[in-house]
Amino acid sequence: MKIITKLVAAAALCIAGVAGPAGAQDASPSSGFYNALKGKKIGFVPIAMGFNETQAWRTAMERQAAALGYEIIVRDPNWSIEAGIQAINSLIEEKPDLLIIENIDNRSYNRMVQKSIAAGILTVQTQQRSEIPSDAYMGPDWNEMGRNAVEGMVQACGKESGKNGKVAIIQGALTAPASLLQMAGIDEALKDHPEITVVSNQAADWDATKAYQIATTVLQQNPDICGIVGFWDVADAGIASAVKEANLQGKVAVITSGSGARESACDKIAAGDFSYYTSYNTAGQGRDLNAIIRTLLQTMPEPGSKPFDLVSPLIRINKDNMTPSSCWSLEELAQIGG
Amino acid sequence: MIRDDLVRWRYRLIPNTVVGEILSKPWIDNAVPVLMLAVLLTVFGALVPNLLTLGNLGNLSQTVGEYLLMGLGLTIVVMAGGIDLSVGSVFALANLVIIALAGWAGLPMAVAIPVALLSGALIGLLNGILVGYLRLRAFLTTLVTLIVVRALVDSLLLSYSQDIGAAPIFSAFWDYLAFGTVYGMSVSFMTAVALAVAVHIVLTRLRPGWHIIAVGGSRRAAHNAGINVRRTVCLSYVASGTLAALAGVFYAARLMSLGAETGVGLEITILTAVVLGGTSLGGGRGSVVKTVLGVAIVVVVTNSLLRFNLPSGSSPLALGIILLLAVAIDVRWVKNKRKVLDQTYVAPTYFELPPLPDARRGAATPYAVNDHLATAEPIGLGLLDGPEDVILDADDNLYTGSRDGNILRLMAPDYTRVEPYVHIGGQPLGLAFDRAGNLVTCVAGMGLYMVRPNREVVKLSDETNRTVFSIIDDSRMRLADDLDIAPDGRVFFSEATIRYALHDWMIDALEGRGNGRIICYDPRDGTSRTVLPRLQFPNGICMVPDGQSFLYAETWGCRVSRYYFDGPKKGRTEVVIADLPGYPDNINRASDGTFWLAMIGMRTPAFDLSQRMPGFRRRMAMKVARDQWVFPNLNTGGVIKFDLTGQVLQSLWDGEGGSHPQVTSMREHKGWLYLGGIFNNRIGRIRLPDADQSWTSQSAYWGAPK
Repeated sequence: MKIITKLVAAAALCIAGVAGPAGAQDASPSSGFYNALKGKKIGFVPIAMGFNETQAWRTAMERQAAALGYEIIVRDPNWSIEAGIQAINSLIEEKPDLLIIENIDNRSYNRMVQKSIAAGILTVQTQQRSEIPSDAYMGPDWNEMGRNAVEGMVQACGKESGKNGKVAIIQGALTAPASLLQMAGIDEALKDHPEITVVSNQAADWDATKAYQIATTVLQQNPDICGIVGFWDVADAGIASAVKEANLQGKVAVITSGSGARESACDKIAAGDFSYYTSYNTAGQGRDLNAIIRTLLQTMPEPGSKPFDLVSPLIRINKDNMTPSSCWSLEELAQIGG
Repeated sequence: MIRDDLVRWRYRLIPNTVVGEILSKPWIDNAVPVLMLAVLLTVFGALVPNLLTLGNLGNLSQTVGEYLLMGLGLTIVVMAGGIDLSVGSVFALANLVIIALAGWAGLPMAVAIPVALLSGALIGLLNGILVGYLRLRAFLTTLVTLIVVRALVDSLLLSYSQDIGAAPIFSAFWDYLAFGTVYGMSVSFMTAVALAVAVHIVLTRLRPGWHIIAVGGSRRAAHNAGINVRRTVCLSYVASGTLAALAGVFYAARLMSLGAETGVGLEITILTAVVLGGTSLGGGRGSVVKTVLGVAIVVVVTNSLLRFNLPSGSSPLALGIILLLAVAIDVRWVKNKRKVLDQTYVAPTYFELPPLPDARRGAATPYAVNDHLATAEPIGLGLLDGPEDVILDADDNLYTGSRDGNILRLMAPDYTRVEPYVHIGGQPLGLAFDRAGNLVTCVAGMGLYMVRPNREVVKLSDETNRTVFSIIDDSRMRLADDLDIAPDGRVFFSEATIRYALHDWMIDALEGRGNGRIICYDPRDGTSRTVLPRLQFPNGICMVPDGQSFLYAETWGCRVSRYYFDGPKKGRTEVVIADLPGYPDNINRASDGTFWLAMIGMRTPAFDLSQRMPGFRRRMAMKVARDQWVFPNLNTGGVIKFDLTGQVLQSLWDGEGGSHPQVTSMREHKGWLYLGGIFNNRIGRIRLPDADQSWTSQSAYWGAPK
């Protein structure tokens, strides 16, 4: 009997707990947490859908959204600034509770960020930061990414490698902070490594075909080059194929960085395409984004009043330190991500 | 007869002119894009929330403004027969130049903006010189400029983007360009609208615009017409480059961004908009309105698709499909519009003529055929071409119009010497001398003109008041036909039909409707007003000596009426002869106070019957080739004499058709009757032995010569 009574009491408590805020303060988590998120609308404007970073964020965010009962509205401008502005404008008109913007460079969306904040919408910027601060920024420290790239150069081409120290740099889009700040980080760190000489520095606009063409030319002009540094793994697959085609795999180091997605990072490291990889771990970024959403929607600060950053911790991967958990895949994220 | 009544009422109640007249308007080419825009707005407006809210439209107005500016430039180039693919790169270049000059170099806006525009104009000039003067292919040339300018922008960005991009711009004007609104719309939008109006006026009303359209329509013909084709083509590219640069300046103000993506692929978007509106890539056909519509469609589609949350790339894909569709529709439309127009323009209606009087040889009517005109002696045989009307001056010299736009003078007394008196253009038809001895003439295709005795040509009137609900612009005169001058100097003249030009005038007979009118030109204030609308091919006009009324003939109506323009009966119309056996043309005074009337052709029972069968004529016009149509008989005619009571006193025919069977006018002068005929190569004259041998119409109208 005692057991039955206890069970009934427990069941009653459960029902009460679910049914209303009556005994809420005792429960963990508080019902305020669920109420703060339920039925909310979150807008998301990436640079474009369909590549590792944005797909991973979306997968992670949608998993949490499904669990907590809010909605993610994605507007895909597909690399167009003009379309991006229209997308952000249209979302501002629709007044979501929170707006996540992936900047395409450091200025284009400045006025959009201002406008969104002025419209009373909590505004989050990811990956690249515009000049206007908003409620939260989530992304890597690009300067650190640059310093890491130099570390990769030194490992492959520095004093101890016994090589000539000649490297080429193939940037992303020139005006994007991901390129600008990374380059600044590289310049800074290279001061301590006079043995490294940059023989070529060009921009591939995040495009694998362009990166391939530039790398091919660089390899023809400098057959004795020691390493090529790229700024994004997806585009740098082009560098890897150029090196492979020139029969220089293993001789020319390809130093790159990116999301840490299995196919474009670990698989390629294992195959010898990339020799050094800095991952900002987009799986972790998805979790950070979800944390930002949960935090902001609970605390509901005045938009723009208390900006904070969640800087993505970096993972350095090479053939020697790589483990199965160094990378992630979209299938895993759909199951366990966020 | 009940069936006839039904047919009559059906055609009276349902006007069947509308389809053909609408199809003949130039703006009908806009129907497809307008329809498309309406459908898209309905569909997307229902599917996409907030698409049509003022806020969204305000947001979009900046995009629309920039697209429209570029679209205007491209429209000019495409209408001149070219294409400009470099606009996307020029846009990016101007964006870079203005940010560099105003921000980094710190130049004032008054310098920076013109220099930025100049950069676009220079690229346009480069295109223009290559395409216009060196005759390179527009597509390849501007494709190369697109790539070269893009490379230039990229290399400048590589070296300087950090320095340039970091410099802020402090300028109130700059912020106004970016955020200012006029009536809730962005400055760029309002600028684009103002420029659209300006470009529209240039293209449709001003010489440079006509040159552009002419060059686009046919380079060779434009060159032959004396247009500087190379310069026109070159300048069209300069305009395009400048407008693309202006769009780039607005973009720079709005975003202050040096993004490498700036303007990439924009040329395709703009080209889509221009072609979608219906401006033909073949050149020569298009308008600003079309481009405005095209831009609206493109922006609505891209903005709506963006919100559908579709996978990456679907928006350009959709635009591509729409572009393909637009080109296909454009091709079909151009191909079939003319065909449909030809089939539907002729719009017959029910018309019943009174019974046909007997005009056979030996008939008991005054119309009985005789051979009086067989004796007509030819004047200027082979030297004249289409002498519709004839007139003589105080010195007995003979004047007549010709098909090549001249008024010819045949010198008295033997009329063997022909000289071009003046060249007006069109085809001069009706002729009359006014009190001061000026020769006033109706010129088909042009209007009412006057020739002073010193041979100076003066235009009196070429437009009248427009009918309120008329689809056709009936303010312009297509077929001014005959005139006469009232004692007070007012000129009453007929316009035979407003639906057909001179080369098609006979088709008007198939319609059986009152398509013509009589217009009064008042020299005292230079105005023209329509006094009698909806007449059945009004033709000859002749003043009655009472000074208050005139007689007029309606050719397809086969009747002569009298209209009082003054006096106690002012405004009234009386039928004088209701049942002529033929188709009346000009009316002129006779020396005995009666009137001469020319008949251009004779009625036939078959055509009279077909006038009561509008459906038959409609099917004929749609299905049978034109040379097989049933037309009124215009091969043989004659002259009759009648008085104001409507009594026919005499008729003159060429029964055998050997010498002068075709008559459109006659003029009595000093005992002779001079005969004109629009299909003739001569003027004829016959003796009038019983007439007053000193009478001239000149003196009958204006008194004896001083």
